Parts: sequence; C-alpha cells; structure tokens
Amino acid sequence: MGKRYRAVIASVALVVVLVGIAYAGFGATKTASVLLSGLTLAALYFLLAAGLSLIFGLMDVLNFAHGTLFMIGAYVGYTAFGNPRLLLNTLPLFLALLAGATAGTIVGRPLRAWEQAVRRRLTAGEASGNGREVLRALLARLTPSLLLALLAVALVLWGVRGFPLDRLVAFEATATGGAIPTAEAQEPIPRMLLRLAQMALAGLLAGPALARERREQGMWKEGMLAGAIGLVGLLILLARDPLEGFLLGLSVDLRFLLALTAGAVVGALLGGLIERTLIRPFYGRPITQIVLTLGLMFVGTELVKAVWGREGHPPMTVPSLFAESCRSESLAAWLTEHCSSIDVLGRAFPTYRLFIIFVGGVILVGVGLLLRYSRLGMIIRAGVQDSEMVEALGINVRRVFTFVFALGSALAALGGVVAAPFVGVYPEMGGIFQLQAFIAVVIGGMGSYGGTAVGALLLGLARAFGDVLVTSGIPIPWAEQALRASPAVARASTVLIMAIVLLVRPAGIFGRKE
Amino acid sequence: MERHLLEVQDIHTFIGQFHILQGVSLAVPEGSITAVLGRNGAGKTTTLKSILGLTPPRQGRVVFAGQEIQGRPAYEIAAMGVGYVPEHRAIFTDLTVAENLRIAERRRGDLDRKADFIFGLFPDLKRLYRLPGGHLSGGQQQMLAIARALVPDNRLLLIDEPSEGLAPILIQELMEAIRRLSEEVTVVLVEQNFQMASQLADRYVIIDDGRFVRSGPMSELLDDEETVRRYLGAAV
Repeated sequence: MGKRYRAVIASVALVVVLVGIAYAGFGATKTASVLLSGLTLAALYFLLAAGLSLIFGLMDVLNFAHGTLFMIGAYVGYTAFGNPRLLLNTLPLFLALLAGATAGTIVGRPLRAWEQAVRRRLTAGEASGNGREVLRALLARLTPSLLLALLAVALVLWGVRGFPLDRLVAFEATATGGAIPTAEAQEPIPRMLLRLAQMALAGLLAGPALARERREQGMWKEGMLAGAIGLVGLLILLARDPLEGFLLGLSVDLRFLLALTAGAVVGALLGGLIERTLIRPFYGRPITQIVLTLGLMFVGTELVKAVWGREGHPPMTVPSLFAESCRSESLAAWLTEHCSSIDVLGRAFPTYRLFIIFVGGVILVGVGLLLRYSRLGMIIRAGVQDSEMVEALGINVRRVFTFVFALGSALAALGGVVAAPFVGVYPEMGGIFQLQAFIAVVIGGMGSYGGTAVGALLLGLARAFGDVLVTSGIPIPWAEQALRASPAVARASTVLIMAIVLLVRPAGIFGRKE
Repeated sequence: MERHLLEVQDIHTFIGQFHILQGVSLAVPEGSITAVLGRNGAGKTTTLKSILGLTPPRQGRVVFAGQEIQGRPAYEIAAMGVGYVPEHRAIFTDLTVAENLRIAERRRGDLDRKADFIFGLFPDLKRLYRLPGGHLSGGQQQMLAIARALVPDNRLLLIDEPSEGLAPILIQELMEAIRRLSEEVTVVLVEQNFQMASQLADRYVIIDDGRFVRSGPMSELLDDEETVRRYLGAAV
C-alpha cells in the first residue's frame, strides 16, 4: 500500500508542477485551455487504453487489433450517423447469419460431441510422435465440423457477391444534411431474401464448429432465440423503407446517439466474436497471440479500406447540441443555448470537446464502479491475479474473458465514434491512437485500471503542452526569446515520458505485473 | 462393495510433451481423509489438478459421486462440489478477506450460512475481514484458502501442501482445523510432512514417478518402515 500511495503522490505532484510551470509561463487563461485540450486527448486515449489494460490484465493478451476496433467504431458511427440506410441493408444479413449459427449450435451438438470422443480416443497415445500416430492426430483435428465451417465461409462469400456496397456506402450527401437517393442503391427485396437464406444456411453449417460438447438444458431457449433473431432480421428488411424514413427524420442529436450505440454494439459483437473464435484457442501462447492480433490489425484495416475507400473523411458533423454558432458564458448558459464554444476564462473552447471529456469521465467512473462493487467486477479483479484459481472455484472464467474482450472492444469503438467529429475518420487513425493508448497503459502499469487512467491523463496533458511548445513556445523569464521546440519533439514527448517512468518504475506507476 | 466418493482409475496426464502421470489410481471413501504421499516431483500436485480438470487427464477415468468427470471443464467439476486449496494458497491478494470468501459463493447466501462454521474454525479471519488478502501472514493466508473452499457446499476438498512454510505451532492449529472440517467433508490431502499426514489421514496412497505404488489404511503404513523409507525418505 505504501508504494501505491507514493505512486499516487508522485503523479499528482508531477501534474501540479507541470501545470504550475505552464501557469507561470502563460497565465491562467491559456493554461486552462491547454489543460482542457489535454483532457480531451486523455479521454480518447483512456477509452482505448481501458480495454487494452483490462484485456491484458485478465487474459495476458496484447491486443494489437484494439486500434482497429477503434477505427471500425469510428467508421460505423460515421455511417450510422450519415447514412442509416447501410445499417438497414446489412443488419438483416448479419442477423440471418447469427440466427443460423445459433440454431446450428443446437443441431450440431451431437456431431461435435461425437467428434470430441473420437478425437480423445485418437490422440490418447499421441506424445510418442511416430509417423502413424501423427497422421492419426492430424485426422482427428481435421474434423467434419471444421470442413462444414469452411463450407460456411464459402457460402458467406457467395451470399455477399454483387452486394451493392459501394453505392450504399456513399453517404457524404446526408452527412451534411442533403437527401439520399434511395431507389437504385438498394437491392430488390426478393434478391435480399435469397441472400438472407444463404446467410442463414452458412450460419447453420458453421454451427457444429461453434457448438459446445455438452449442456443438455436450454435447448428450447436457444431455439426460440434463433427464431427471434431471424425474425427481427426479416422484419428490418421488409420494413426498411419506413424505417429509413424514420431514421432520417430523427434529429441530428438522436442520430448521433444512434451512431454511438451502433459503434459500441458493433465493437462489442466484433470483440466477442474475435475472442470466441480466434483468441480462445491460443491462451497461454503469447507469440501466437501477438502475431494473430497483428494480423487482425492488417486484415481489419484493409477490409475497412475495401468497404469505405482508402481516403479518409473530414470530421463528422457535430450534433446540434454543440453546433450553434455562438459562445456560451457558462455551462448553465450552454444548456439552453447549445453554443459550439464556451467561455473559459475569456477564451473560447469547443463544447464538443467538453463532451468528449464528459464521456471519458462517465466511462472511467462507470467501469470503475463495475469493477469495485459488482460480483462480476470482483471476479475480474481476482482473475487479473490468477484466472486458474477463479476457475477452480467453479466460475466459468472463459465466459468472463469473452465479456471483458467485448467490453474493451465496445469502449474502443465508442471512443472511435466520439473521436469522429473531432479528428475525422481515416484508416490510419487506429494505429495512431493505439500507439498512444499502449504508452498510457505501459506508463500506468499493465493491468491496473486506475493506473491506466493516470497514464492516459499524463499522456494527454503532455501532448497538449507539447503542441503549445511547438506552436507558440513557452516564454522563459530570463531569456529574450520563448523556448520553442520542433514538431518532432512534441511527438516524441510521450515516448520520452514513458522512458522516464519505466526507468524509475519498470512495471509502470501502479504496475505489479511484469 | 464400499462406497467411494471419488475414484481415479489409471489416469495419464501430459503437461506439454511430458508424460507426468503414467497410471495413477486412488479410491476415496466418503467421510475419510486420504493422504497422497510421495517424493518431490512424484506427481502429487498433478494428480489433484487432474481430478479437478485443471490439467485434464488424457486417458483413464475419474468418477466423482457416481459420475464420470474426466474431460469436463474445471469450473463444472468444481461446481459439482469439489473444493481446491492449491499449493502456495493462491488467495487473491488485491481482494479483501470478505471478497476472497464471497467470490467462492455458488449460490447467494452461501457465505452467510457457512459463516459460523468457518469463523468457528478460523476465528482470526473475522478480525481480518476487511483487510486485503495481501496483508495477511502466511498462516492466515492458508486459513483463508481453506475457508474459501468451505464457503460453497463442497463434498470433497483437495488440499495441497497446507503446512508448507508454516511454523510448527501454526501447523498444530491447522491440523486441528482440518480434523474438525473433515467431519463435514471428505478430504484428499497432499502433504510432504509425513508426521502431519500420518496423524491426520485414515488412508494413504503412495505415488512414485507418476505411477501408483500402493494404498491402504494409514495404520498399515505406520508399521511398514521399509516402504516409508523407500518412497518417502522419511522415518516413521
């Protein structure tokens, strides 16, 4: 405990000293706005770093695809905001796939159980490793369910062939408030129904591979669930025209809320899927995991480029809550005026950036409360230390892994959506923010939630002050000219901080894990 | 035939490429304390982990309360009523004593129902209730680890090296606690300290080099100096 207190005191002291220097050099007004800029960056870094830290802490997985999820979140949010039509045309396909897979896991269970039994028998004497046994082990792994899953992938590819994605994705028209030309971009309903059927069949084929071996109860529930998911998909498709009218009729603020939700949900689903299918087989094999998540980063980035194009997009339209062209005197005044900027000690500061800080704060507190006071949070904290022991207590820790991966991915994707009106959307944004988030996690101490928040804060502030150092320089009392640095120094400042922190505390400020 | 709560039949367990267990069998009657004995590296810990499914055996059968459990995930086996007190305690140092106990609940209210029994065995824990587990001494951590396994309604306790690193006076206290809790649950005990094992256990199983050697009532082993010296390197 003593060490942790010292770490807290040291970081607080560091921040106070930095802010003090800035205050002496710039005066209160400029210091306040630089501080707020730093907090804005810190909030975005934190949204990414929180998931990275939780995932590493609990599962020892360094997720290099985290920035990609951030970027995908930004694109999904951007699209949901500007062109809800894409959502209406693609969601039924995903739902059909999901419904098929859910049904498939029930139907495929006996096949899976049989396979596992055969596999156990065949691999019984594997370790000696002579030729015949290796062949048998290979055969045991090349199972019917795997072949069916490959067939399912082929069926999915066939099912999406010719889908008019590029026409559906062209959304700039509505991002600025124009109308969407509807008719020719959407496919006729019968064609879509065929695609839906293909997706459902593909899901069904992939089912056995996803099925768990046992669990007799709950078949009814799962069957109903599969039916319900499929039905929702079908209904969305059939009602796409009225739904589109409804979505486009929403106010800009509500559409922004839709964008946030869509981004977070897609992030959670993608994260959960990645954990269940790709990460799970490789726990305890760090090299494989790193190569895997690095690969996912490249694949994800290229997929985004294939769908949305190589070029980025300028910052998303700011929701109208933050868009009136005026300057509010105070937060209370902003509540009625919705000005795009607010008066901070005589200087204008964009209100949307305050919103980013607000989101960061809400997530920080919300996830913190979850970790501290819920049973799930208690399990996560215990699992960070020793997940095998958690399992030995009778807790399905794998399910907790999936949840944490999905939660972390959702936070990253949410961060992407929140960032979109601030920095725009472009394929490289994931890598840029991920690098900073990694540094924040390392500074704070891998696996420490509070440490990650402190790390993100230090980094955001350093970045903001570094930018000032470059643009206007810091006046020094005894020198004639202000101290100015080159842009490279500002960019290097975060890495410099990391180096210093690691020299003093190799495990990070709050870290215990190596 | 005598009714056994746990039966392990000729299990083989691999860790990586290493064939650690090469045929271990044991039968544990309900209500007994069974000591698993053997030298360092004989496979005692792996035997416990194989029963629980943490290192699933690749061959052989494990039957608990009449059901085959080999190959099931560890959390399912534990939830059937198997408690585990691992080597080096493995309590959660960041969680408070209260949280360390509550995390083991399988149903809401388990801890409240068992509180009297647990604090009767380990009165110290009541005083330390709000402290982080990391602040406890080695002996207190060992007691917390055992208490944690007693929170849910377990029928079988797997206890690995409880006396390791404890002062003799603490060992006495611990033995008394294990004797008392064995009136409620069946115990499989791995123990290097032959004195302690021989005083506590009703039955013994000897493992050597990953293989079953022999088993029987503890009284029989105490008369067999030759076996004790040969496989345990200890004097009776």
